[in-house]
Amino acid sequence: MTTNTERVDYAPPTPKVIADVLHAPGPRPSRAGSVSTSLTFGHRALLKIKHVPEQLFDVTMFPIMFILMFTYLFGGALAGSPREYVQFLLPGILVQTVVMITMYTGLTINKDIEKGVFDRFRSLPIWRPSPLVGALLGDVVRYTLASIIVMLVGMAIGFRPSGGLVGVVLSIVLLLAFSFSLSWIWTMLALLLRTEQAVMGVSMFILFPLTFASNIFVDPATMPGWLQAFVNVNPISHIVTAIRGLMGGSLEFADLAAVGIWCAVFIAIFGPLSMRLYNRKS
Amino acid sequence: MSSVTVMVERNVRLSSRNFEALLTSVMLPILILVLFVYLFGGAIQTGTAEYVDYALPGVLLLCTGFVSALTATRVSEDLQQGIVDRFRSLDVGGAAILGGHVAGSMLRNAVSVTLLIAAALLIGFRPSATPLEWLAVIGVLALFIFAISWAAAVFGLLAKTPEGAAGFQFFVMFLPYPSSAFVPVETMPTWLHGFAENQPATPVIETVRGLLMGTPIGASAALAVAWCVGISVTAIVVAALLFRRRVG
Repeated sequence: MTTNTERVDYAPPTPKVIADVLHAPGPRPSRAGSVSTSLTFGHRALLKIKHVPEQLFDVTMFPIMFILMFTYLFGGALAGSPREYVQFLLPGILVQTVVMITMYTGLTINKDIEKGVFDRFRSLPIWRPSPLVGALLGDVVRYTLASIIVMLVGMAIGFRPSGGLVGVVLSIVLLLAFSFSLSWIWTMLALLLRTEQAVMGVSMFILFPLTFASNIFVDPATMPGWLQAFVNVNPISHIVTAIRGLMGGSLEFADLAAVGIWCAVFIAIFGPLSMRLYNRKS
Repeated sequence: MSSVTVMVERNVRLSSRNFEALLTSVMLPILILVLFVYLFGGAIQTGTAEYVDYALPGVLLLCTGFVSALTATRVSEDLQQGIVDRFRSLDVGGAAILGGHVAGSMLRNAVSVTLLIAAALLIGFRPSATPLEWLAVIGVLALFIFAISWAAAVFGLLAKTPEGAAGFQFFVMFLPYPSSAFVPVETMPTWLHGFAENQPATPVIETVRGLLMGTPIGASAALAVAWCVGISVTAIVVAALLFRRRVG
């Protein structure tokens, strides 16, 4: 059996061929809109999850571990019984889980910048903020997944929301809005700090006190006065109170307004700052 | 004996250079103590006047476990970097190499425990222990550190990578939670009682708490010593066999 291997010389396209392509009949394709480009980058963020499923470990294992540990080990001492405590704890754990994974927004953006992928994105004829907005939109899917897992585990061990399905869905929607707003902080840090480790370190330094020094685990009334003062102004405490209200069917407008104000503050401050840093990088 | 001294010296030097690990092993237990005392202390009823008095023995165990478990990573790193083969060519025995790691762990723990007790005193810990009882506390903790360090050495010899060996830290850090470390066992669901009452951390915690606060110890002291000696003997034998198999 003989194989005939001919050497094929590559001929670059002639100016005429290029001109024919450029002057092809029909209208020129319209430039991609801001929504479609953002959704494309959102899809890219989801593909990352598909290819690196280990990153979902934080979304699945940590919340399950926290719920089980606090409910069964400390529930009896904190609330009389694990069943009673899970009613108080679950909305808080839901918030803690989602808020903790918001920092991955910053980490992935920082990794993209480090690899030079962001420089390629900037050369594309797209709406400037779409790589950032897309990354945040992709993370919203991750937050939703985390919320569903927490709710399922909670229901399995006895959590029963008085607010019903509507209360639960509205809670998750409110939490997603809050998390989206909060994510702009980590986006800004990702553009500000050089390494992934630095972003993670600073994020944890901010998130650890915010989530633990809150009303997630215990009623602030049992805490020392100086700690209560911090807990009461902590944005995490406000979102937890609002979600407890929605799930318990007893939401007060003031709690919802407080969350709305925090969301607006985060977006108003860190959104423009992130965009300014992003534009300066180009 | 001189080779053991050299190995201990080497471990101390390595520890002092790895400032990040040293800081973590000191700061993390203090952070956990502060977290439990101020965040949960007011809500948890333990029967003691101050929650810090109840929680400290558990946090001490958490601290010693966390620091001792670093031995697993250190042993694994030595094996991976090939330094053990160099030591063997210098006729340094396996006992000296592993013993050096364990002794280094005990010295690291001495620093961590001292700083943790100092932090506890600052936030209201008031022990009623006599000097003799303090000596007994040191003895029990030293036994526990010795046992966990040897168990960590075994894990380090079994692990393929230092990252894998680091998993032992998570296991040891979780051990005090399902025990009487932070809440009385009676407040836990009945199906957890069996494990919480019969795991190694509980008698050690009860003994340390009894010695520091003057609460009844009962059979805890004997159980604590039995657990620590049992773990130590088993771990030393297994470590010797594994070391021979891996290094020759």
